[in-house]
Amino acid sequence: MLEIKCPYCGKRSQNEFSYGGDATVKRPDLEKEVSDKEWDDFLYYRKNPRGEHSELWHHVAGCRQWFKVLRSTITHEIFKTVKMNEEL
Amino acid sequence: MTAISPLQSIHKKSLFGDHHKKNEDDLLHIKEIKNLYIIQIVFYKNSQIKLDNIKIQNLEIPLHNLQVSSNANTRILWNGPNTWLVVSKKEDIMQSIKETCDDENFAVTDISHSRAIIQIKGPQAKEVLKKGSPLNFNDFNKNTCAGSVFHGINIVIDCIDDQSNTLLSTDSFNLLTLRSFGESLYHHITDASLEFGYLGT
Ligand SMILES: [Zn+2]
Repeated sequence: MLEIKCPYCGKRSQNEFSYGGDATVKRPDLEKEVSDKEWDDFLYYRKNPRGEHSELWHHVAGCRQWFKVLRSTITHEIFKTVKMNEEL
Repeated sequence: MTAISPLQSIHKKSLFGDHHKKNEDDLLHIKEIKNLYIIQIVFYKNSQIKLDNIKIQNLEIPLHNLQVSSNANTRILWNGPNTWLVVSKKEDIMQSIKETCDDENFAVTDISHSRAIIQIKGPQAKEVLKKGSPLNFNDFNKNTCAGSVFHGINIVIDCIDDQSNTLLSTDSFNLLTLRSFGESLYHHITDASLEFGYLGT
């Protein structure tokens, strides 16, 4: 079980949160021509690194805010959590 | 306001669990809280006005997590950044809110009928909550609130009283959940209370 520091509520147990995927993925701009490959990359392809990983988490049972987490996929250590408008 | 309460058909007023030969004050007391007004207030992201001056029935709006501002009739719970729950006995609460929270800057929604509220009071109230919620209850004193889970059910826990001056502190909590989860939460709470003995009131 992880203990995650929500930027709004402080340290809470993982079961108050839900995972929202890779925080670096950017959706292609609206009304822009998108090739099949670009769309494929956005929708399916992830780096899946061994080590530091930027993630989105949602404090779904608490303040219901999304935020960013920098976490190690090897040790699960959480290095940093920030609000959505801040840089990791 | 009179409404059909969410737990009307399941809440039983009697002694349950390990209550034999115990003083009533040492037991847990569980009841349904009905006929409260529950209003959600959200401050719009792009609004420029200052929140410091805003008061609802003379209560300041809490600006930090875990905070509650309260008087005898009304409680304002911090529910997230720029989001609050006003829980009140006052019939004119909506009017009071609208006087200070205008349409331009706030979304005000009456959600009175969408929540079930269970009150649990007693020396072991925290022990019962610890069985299903991962929240740290060590510093969870009077006028503290938090959104959390209880056996997977999303709840808001509001500590309405603590009598820590007595030898054994007697805490009171209001547990708010979505109406449709009320019955399930009620069974989880009463089940967890059996080992201490409880009085449904
Ligand atoms: Zn939070």
